[in-house]
Amino acid sequence: MKWRAFYILLLPYFASVLCTSTIDKSLVVTQVERKIDIASHLVKTYTSITIENKGSASVRSFLFVIDPTLQNKVSFIGAVTKDNKDDKLQVVPTTVTGHSDKQFWKVTLRSELSAGKSVTVEVEAVFAHALSAYPSQITQAEKQYVVFEGNLYFYSPYETATQKTIVTTASSTLESYTKTKPVSASDNVITYGPYENRPPFSEAQLRVHEENNSPFLTVTSMERIIEVSHWGNIAIEEHVDLRHSGATLKGPFSRFDYQRSQDGVSSIKSFKTILPASARDVYYRDEIGNISTSHMRELDDAVDVELRPRFPLFGGWKTRYFLGYNVPSYEYLFNKGDSYALKMRFVDHVYDDMVVDEAVVKVILPEGSKNIEVRTPFKVKREPDELHFTYLDTTGRPVVVMRKENLVEQHIQDFELHYTFQRMLLLQEPLLVVGAFYLLFLVVIIYVRLDFSITKDEAKESRLRVASLVEEVQSTQDRRSALYQSYDDAINRFKTTKDTAAFQASRKKVDADYKQLTTQVQNIYQQLKTEGTDIAEKVAELQRLDGQYKDQINLAITLAEKLVAGKASRQQYLDSEAGVNTKREDIYQKMEALRATL
Amino acid sequence: MKTASGFWGPTWLLRMSPDKQDTLLKMMVLAIAAVLSFSTRLFSVLRFESVIHEFDPYFNYRTTRFLAEEGFYNFHNWFDDRAWYPLGRIIGGTIYPGLMVTSASIYHVLNFFNITIDVRNVCVFLAPLFSSFTTIVTFFLTKELKDAGAGLVAASMLAIVPGYISRSVAGSYDNEGIAIFCMLLTYYLWIKAVKTGSVYWSALCALAYFYMVSSWGGYVFLINLIPLHVLALMITGRFSHKIYLAYSTVYCLGTLLSMQISFVGFQPVQSSEHMAALGVFGLCQLYAFVDYLRSHLTREQFNLLFRSLVLIIGAVAFGAAAVATALGKISPWTGRFYSLLDPSYAKNNIPIIASVSEHQPTTWSSFYFDLQLLVFMFPVGLYFCFSKLTDANIFIVMYGVTSIYFAGVMVRLMLVLAPVMCILSGIGVSSILTTYMRNLDTGRRDKKPKKPDSSYPLKNEIANCVVLIMTAFLILYTFHCTWVTSEAYSSPSIVLSARGGDGSRIIFDDFREAYYWLRHNTPEDAKVMSWWDYGYQITAMANRTILVDNNTWNNTHISRVGQAMASPEEKAYEIMRELDVSYVLVIFGGLTGYSSDDINKFLWMVRIGGSTDRGRHINEMDYYTPQGEFRVDREGSPVLLNCLMYKMCYYRFGAVYTENGKPTGYDREAYTTEHWLVRIYKVKDLENRGV
Repeated sequence: MKWRAFYILLLPYFASVLCTSTIDKSLVVTQVERKIDIASHLVKTYTSITIENKGSASVRSFLFVIDPTLQNKVSFIGAVTKDNKDDKLQVVPTTVTGHSDKQFWKVTLRSELSAGKSVTVEVEAVFAHALSAYPSQITQAEKQYVVFEGNLYFYSPYETATQKTIVTTASSTLESYTKTKPVSASDNVITYGPYENRPPFSEAQLRVHEENNSPFLTVTSMERIIEVSHWGNIAIEEHVDLRHSGATLKGPFSRFDYQRSQDGVSSIKSFKTILPASARDVYYRDEIGNISTSHMRELDDAVDVELRPRFPLFGGWKTRYFLGYNVPSYEYLFNKGDSYALKMRFVDHVYDDMVVDEAVVKVILPEGSKNIEVRTPFKVKREPDELHFTYLDTTGRPVVVMRKENLVEQHIQDFELHYTFQRMLLLQEPLLVVGAFYLLFLVVIIYVRLDFSITKDEAKESRLRVASLVEEVQSTQDRRSALYQSYDDAINRFKTTKDTAAFQASRKKVDADYKQLTTQVQNIYQQLKTEGTDIAEKVAELQRLDGQYKDQINLAITLAEKLVAGKASRQQYLDSEAGVNTKREDIYQKMEALRATL
Repeated sequence: MKTASGFWGPTWLLRMSPDKQDTLLKMMVLAIAAVLSFSTRLFSVLRFESVIHEFDPYFNYRTTRFLAEEGFYNFHNWFDDRAWYPLGRIIGGTIYPGLMVTSASIYHVLNFFNITIDVRNVCVFLAPLFSSFTTIVTFFLTKELKDAGAGLVAASMLAIVPGYISRSVAGSYDNEGIAIFCMLLTYYLWIKAVKTGSVYWSALCALAYFYMVSSWGGYVFLINLIPLHVLALMITGRFSHKIYLAYSTVYCLGTLLSMQISFVGFQPVQSSEHMAALGVFGLCQLYAFVDYLRSHLTREQFNLLFRSLVLIIGAVAFGAAAVATALGKISPWTGRFYSLLDPSYAKNNIPIIASVSEHQPTTWSSFYFDLQLLVFMFPVGLYFCFSKLTDANIFIVMYGVTSIYFAGVMVRLMLVLAPVMCILSGIGVSSILTTYMRNLDTGRRDKKPKKPDSSYPLKNEIANCVVLIMTAFLILYTFHCTWVTSEAYSSPSIVLSARGGDGSRIIFDDFREAYYWLRHNTPEDAKVMSWWDYGYQITAMANRTILVDNNTWNNTHISRVGQAMASPEEKAYEIMRELDVSYVLVIFGGLTGYSSDDINKFLWMVRIGGSTDRGRHINEMDYYTPQGEFRVDREGSPVLLNCLMYKMCYYRFGAVYTENGKPTGYDREAYTTEHWLVRIYKVKDLENRGV
């Protein structure tokens, strides 16, 4: 129910409810002050209406009707009461029987208007394309003149007691204007009235022909793509089609005049777009690449981007560009458990006093989002959802498509999008990558390990067998070298402790190991021999050298035993040991060299 | 006791067998070279943006987009009415589709896996990707020729050689980008086929050849080089069954496959460029047949038979060739091919070929600029090849010698020379280093230094010197290549940049400004006349119909445009009405000092315009001053000052310099870009009747 309240609060009008109303004869407009602003390319009217209830029953709403000349050009209507300007009133289009040609809007008051009381309501209306260029074609040097045609009187279903109209023009240069008295013109303001006691639906022409060089820029169509990522980023891209909708350029465009005399006053050289303050990675490009002419300024509360189209826009010229940026998602995406809410602007600022003829907003949600529900501040056309596939997608991301025509600055309002998303699904994409790599490695492993050839390559297999045997020989040899070290250790210990028994025991153990290794090498040698490679010869040589080495070790042992038993003098021992060591060194070098060549 | 030998490196590396260490090292060096060759080509993307460069790539990009969107069948039958108005162009039958098919398939494969990359980015990064592949193929090719070490050196050199980078930076989306890869792949497989003599490798070679044919017109070089190799092997007496088998398979399969490309069609059996291959194929059969006979006959019988056979077959073959040529069955050689054999041919006969800067003969400086160290190491590699001649080495020697000739004739063929330069230099550098590295005294510290060899004094010192010098050369080569790539070959030429007075960068984006203006603010069916250089860019970026483009297939049409540009206003107006032109676009560098503008190219327009019958009135000499100068100021020749091109370029330009006395304009100025680089004029429509 909370949402319902929000709805009524925020919705200035709620067009989905088309109801029929009747004109309440008891209401009388006692005073009207209209301000018509035609200084830009939009027509903005601010009408301050004082209504008195002269009947006996209290009234909740009143009707507002648009001038017949402008009724097809309405972009926006909003109303507030004079004493509380922040409180927007509900404005709903409606029809009145007997007045089917007119466009009525029903304004619902905040509180009942009891009999005899009066209230002042301010109605704001914005009209697009209501100013027409006259002449419709100008040359580069000429200035642009536009005509505004409207109703001199306040168009109302009720009787109007007294009214006043103030027209604000773009400049003081006026070609002509309607001169129904009382009227006064000064600078860029024309004041009409006061006019007294006009009956309902009174009409008279109001025509102002003024010079207006403000940018007549229209966004003919705009696509806004919002891509939501739960990894903390929201990417926004806008595709904008622009057209200069003022007086079209007649004759040549001279760059020389444009650069020298600064003419072409009605042309558009650049405009400013305001992005959210957190916008990052802004890019500005079109179908054929970057547009290198833009400036960006980061302010505290916004990012100003000064966009310059590739060429200055003269009347009737058009262009197209893409503007994109990223914003962090924590500012716009809220969640409670698995339910998420995205709250973003339906359209964003494109330029001051903007007009968007047609806007399509696409929201790309993460894969696996469900129960999508859209709440918009104004009526939009929801088109069927689409699917979008991009990096690592399997089932596709749901795309919500909304379409709305005729938007102006007042439509920069937030919409809400509610959906549910299982948080575990966030892991799907990383797991997918992990799985893919796992599979890839698995395939490589299988391919490398298994033999897929249909013929048996005898030579290759023999080569492989030999390689493995050689590896075995090498590792055995390494272990054997380690055993030599143990011999040395044993001898040294024997020499210091002179413990014959211990020495014999350790020698026996090492001898056993050594014997086992030697037989192992011998076996491999036999295998290699059957393979018929010359490596077998090398292994045989290795065995031979090893035998010699072993002999030297035995010699060293005998010497040590002699020394311990006192059968040899120390000097004698040292001399013969040195001889043994040199020999051992020599043989060891040979063996190492041989091992390396295997 | 010493147990472990003096190995270096972490223990896990130690534990690997030398075989595995070797493989790991090789793969690492190769991978680094491949990554380097990709990344060194990204200067322009980083400096500017991911954008297609130059002129031809725009056409390739446009056709690729068409292929990706419309499918192969529509692409094959595509009649393009946006170009060569009013003639149009049958795209499917007049291009080598290999490049487009490659990128379109990459695009489709990636998009199948939901990797949403757009066609433009595929196109921009295709050339760097293929140069990575080329690096790898170079390694394998050189490995076949010499050894893995030389392969690694050659691959690393190829990764950064400017002569190849010039055609394969990111954005330079042209046929050559993938063709060099195809060419080297074909060579590698050919060498493999020659070495093994197996049908498997030969068939693979034919497939690679097919890919090459589908991607570049330069395949003609390949189909002449391989027969030349076979011929050389025959002459040197190295012809064997292996070569017979390899060549017969490659030729038959390759020719059949190449005829599937509709642009090639029946050329492989008709045009004289392909006759060498056919001739050698016939010779192979004869040779094999003669060998067979020789093994079955006595010497006398054989000699008699041999002599008569040679006479008969020679006469028949010659007669057949003569008749076929006379009947026009064998097409005469194309102009570009003639200009390969005779560098002055184009200059004298076909101005349109001569007008292209990349068809000019190469200067000495550009050899050094594009190849640097390789220029010196190339002969060294040749020497090492000769010193150990094998079948494969003969091939690379022939490739090197022929391509160095062709590169001298036409600057564009530097591209074909660059890989063989790298391969031979790789062999050279690697051989030198292996020779001298062995002489280095890197003995373990525990060993006593060997006794100095009396026959080779200072062995170690000399080796040290040579290795140091080589290292210095290689380092210099790296710096040179990076510098050249960054300074000379990484400008997209569609966006120009200059340094401002305060050192800031000024970007001239006038081309795109003008094209985008055309795209959005002219009628959909507007015809734009410009010199042919800008044709591809206009169709791709402005999406408007143009009269002539870079395809230059119709000389008279281009000549007509040249005539319009070179004629005085009234005459030009007639021509433009005849061609139904709505806009004229000229490039004018007067304000910014851009040197390759239309005024600079204007003499070529005059020459080409005057080269056909209808342009007889245009005489090059009229556009010079009596002193023989080409001047565009007040003293310029009156014919020049009154011609359309001059007037359009300088329309109201005099006023910029507040200088009067310039001729007045002709057509309606429609648009001029910010820096005056591009000026567009609208052709006056016919007056309404009765007005």
